[in-house]
Parts: sequence; C-alpha cells; structure tokens
Amino acid sequence: MASANIGGGSSGRRKSLDAEINLVPFIDLLSMCICFLLMTAVWVQLGSVQVKQANGTEGAAEAKDTLDLDVKFLAENQVTLSVKSKGRVVKTYQVQGATMADLATAFEKQVQDIQAQMKSQGEISAVMLTPKAGVSYGSMISIMDVLRKNRLVNLGVVPVNPLSGG
Amino acid sequence: MQVGTQALRPNVFAKHLVARSHSTKKNRRTILAALSLTSMVDMFSLLVIFLLQTFSTSPELLVMTKGVQLPVASSGAEITDAPILAIAQDEIFLDQKSVGTVVDVLKDPKGLLAQLQVFRENWSKAHPNEKFKGEINLQAHKDVPSTVISQIMGVLPSQQYGSIQLIVTSGGS
Repeated sequence: MASANIGGGSSGRRKSLDAEINLVPFIDLLSMCICFLLMTAVWVQLGSVQVKQANGTEGAAEAKDTLDLDVKFLAENQVTLSVKSKGRVVKTYQVQGATMADLATAFEKQVQDIQAQMKSQGEISAVMLTPKAGVSYGSMISIMDVLRKNRLVNLGVVPVNPLSGG
Repeated sequence: MQVGTQALRPNVFAKHLVARSHSTKKNRRTILAALSLTSMVDMFSLLVIFLLQTFSTSPELLVMTKGVQLPVASSGAEITDAPILAIAQDEIFLDQKSVGTVVDVLKDPKGLLAQLQVFRENWSKAHPNEKFKGEINLQAHKDVPSTVISQIMGVLPSQQYGSIQLIVTSGGS
C-alpha cells in the first residue's frame, strides 16, 4: 500500500501522521476504464473521398474563367493530364512510373507544376477522371488522394463501359 | 478481509505473516512475497492515457461488408450517414443486402435502381421539409476494376444520388 510518513519523528509526544492511500479502488477504477476504452475503441479509421456525379443536363458547360483538368488512365501506372480552358485543351502532359507509388509521386509533382504554371490563367476548378479496363479501383483512389492533397476536391468520374476496354 | 481485528492492508498483512512464521515453525524459512503495485498502477495509467488519446467520440456509421478490402487514402474526409453500396469482387450489396452479381447489375441495373428509389422515398418521408441530399457511401474492394466502379457511379445520378462518398481506410503518407 502506498504510504507517506509526514514528520513527527523528533518529539516523542507528537503523534506521527502515517497517511496511507488505499490503491485497491484506484486499481479497480483504472481496470474499468481500460475495459471500457478497449471495448469502445475504433481500430480502423475510415474516411471518404467525395465525388460529384452530374446527371444529364446538370453539368452543362458554361463559359467560366476557371480551368478544368482531365486525368485519363492509359495503364495501371500511366496517366495523361489535360488542362482545359473553356472546354478546349490547352496543354497535355503524360505521367508514368514503374510502380503505382512512383506514379503517384510523379503525378503529384506534375499537378503542382501545372498549378504553378497556370496560376495566371485561373485556378483549376474541377477534375474529371477517366478510368480504363485493367486499372484497379485502388489506383484510381491513389490518384484522387493526390488531387485532394493538392486542394483539388471537386472530382468527377467518367462512366466507362468495362466491356468496351476503356 | 480481516486478520484478527485489523483490516487487511499490505504492511499489516506482512507483519502478520512474519509474526506467524516466527511463532509456528522456527526452523522453516519464511518466503514472503510482496506485490509491488506501483509499476502496475503506472502501466494501467499509461494504458488509460493512450486509450483516451485514441478515443473517438464519433459513432461508427459503417458496417464493413464481408469480402471488401478498402483502398488506403490519407486525405479522407469525415463520413456522413447515408445508404451503403458495397461492391465486392463479384457481388454488390445495398445496406448489407445482396443486389446481385456485378455482371448482372452492370447488364441490368434496374433492380439496384428500384432499391435506391425505395431508400430515397423513405428518406423523403422521414424528412418531409428537407431537400434530398443525394448522398451515398460507396464501399468497394480495392482490386475491383475502376471501370466497374465508374459504371456503377454512372447509374446512381439517375436516382438523384449525385454526391458519392468513396469510403477509404485513412492512412498512408
């Protein structure tokens, strides 16, 4: 048991104050806390990547001063980036990497370069992703993650027929 | 617990054990084991602090569908409460109920759309003065072809589900 001797050693008359802290209820409380927290703990942290899908005429093109970005998958580790202004392609870049991680790194660098170069012409307002047969959903999310990290959060996905081969 | 008239406390108990060993068998050596509680309390305290730091007050909105391994993303936003459309490698589920195989749903998405319509109508009944937000949570296995996901996402706006939240596991760099 935890105890603390508080003075009272010199004088024979004075009664020593030997205070003892009873640790048993403290341990009980800690055990209950641990049980509760372990039972309510969330071990897998989930998040979401929001995508806006336009319906029919909702996405009607209107003249605007902002830029759009088209990201088209050519293969699992190869994409084409097209910068569009008022619906017309201004510049096209091709990015590839040996692995998906390499592609994500190269893609991030390219997006940052585009953002720096096109700053005078306006900000990139929307990004459309075109998937391709043979490219996994995980790879698409990796590219979306890079875009979101670079403040490009207005994302859309072009519906592609899986049987058409993209 | 009482030993004689005294309440059982470690030092009292230890004194009692020593006294008993002296009084009964003088030849036998006493083995007195004392339990050090300090280190245990330290460990418990650290555990509690760690668990409190990782404690999340937001409720778990999603039930993980069997056979769905989510992709990882580091920029995931908070999940909102919405119907869950889960796409496993060969089957599609809407709120844990099977809608059909991926191939069948892609060929004819009418069944899926009818169920989505029911969800939308129920939501509108429950929230009569609110505009339908069109939110849906999409849980898909990371190895499913991206074209399958895009096709499914393509049919959702026809039932006014235009705000799709792709569920990911938070992490990575």
